[in-house]
Amino acid sequence: MNLAEGVQFVSLVILGGLMIFSALGVVLLSNIVYSAFLLALTFISVSGLYILLNAGFVAAAQVLVYVGAVNVLILFGIMLVNKVEVFSEVKNAWVGKAATGAVCAGLFGLIGTMVTSHPWAISTAPAAGDKAIEVIGQHFFSDFLLPFELASILLLVALVGAIVLARREFLPDLVAPQQEALTLPERPRELVAAGVRDED
Amino acid sequence: MFVLSGYEYFLGFLIISSLVPVVALGASKLLRPASAGPASRTTYESGCEPIGGAWIQFNIRYYMFALVFVIFDVETVFLYPWAVAFHKLGLLGFVEALIFIAILVVGLVYAWRKGALEWS
Repeated sequence: MNLAEGVQFVSLVILGGLMIFSALGVVLLSNIVYSAFLLALTFISVSGLYILLNAGFVAAAQVLVYVGAVNVLILFGIMLVNKVEVFSEVKNAWVGKAATGAVCAGLFGLIGTMVTSHPWAISTAPAAGDKAIEVIGQHFFSDFLLPFELASILLLVALVGAIVLARREFLPDLVAPQQEALTLPERPRELVAAGVRDED
Repeated sequence: MFVLSGYEYFLGFLIISSLVPVVALGASKLLRPASAGPASRTTYESGCEPIGGAWIQFNIRYYMFALVFVIFDVETVFLYPWAVAFHKLGLLGFVEALIFIAILVVGLVYAWRKGALEWS
């Protein structure tokens, strides 16, 4: 193992450990804001793995879109809902837990089967390297043109749908209550002289 | 084979940006007077006293702005490879990118007309 491989291995271990522990923190921490910030750390670790794989554009897109935009959206979503102080006991909670466990075990089995059955042969095609972005661009406008154009329609649908949902246009006025103006509670204060006090 | 070749500047930026908070906090620790009065325990020293908790319900407009930002952020990521490979794509690529942008401009016009971009 030479120096370059050592650097790569150490970076892989650090990034992988960071990713696993931050992902565990997302699930296990009870404070949802900490979970959101740890999710950002997970995304950043994934982006570091992309850099290790020499996929600079994907790493930059990961940071730009997931950390910069999606995670901010998640944080705003958390800020939009009211903080729940007490959680009441859910009846028959084991049903939901069993269903979640079954789905997660099935997903784990599926991915595990795929990992073991995939040949993982290294492609003999020359690595794109610095030209990767150019190659991606050429694919976008030749054989991946239809998905590229469909992506714009998907973004348009997402934008229009989000605006309609946020403006609550689909609800009649009876159902959507008029939101009261937000006011901060005022605390009565004693009047204090602001000038210099006499010393006598 | 050094797989991370070409990322020397990235490493430099990473080191400098991680040093910034350390240097800023360390310098203020060295420079500031050691005695702490009761005023320095407040949230904003010599500022307004905050009222209520920090975790309040935010206005939905913040969410709208973040959402519109996500959409156009993704659009930027899609357009970047087009800009890099522009000289190889020719006129057809230009027209295709114009179609892509035109579809999203419809969304921008919709957001504008519906007032999603206004604070008021």
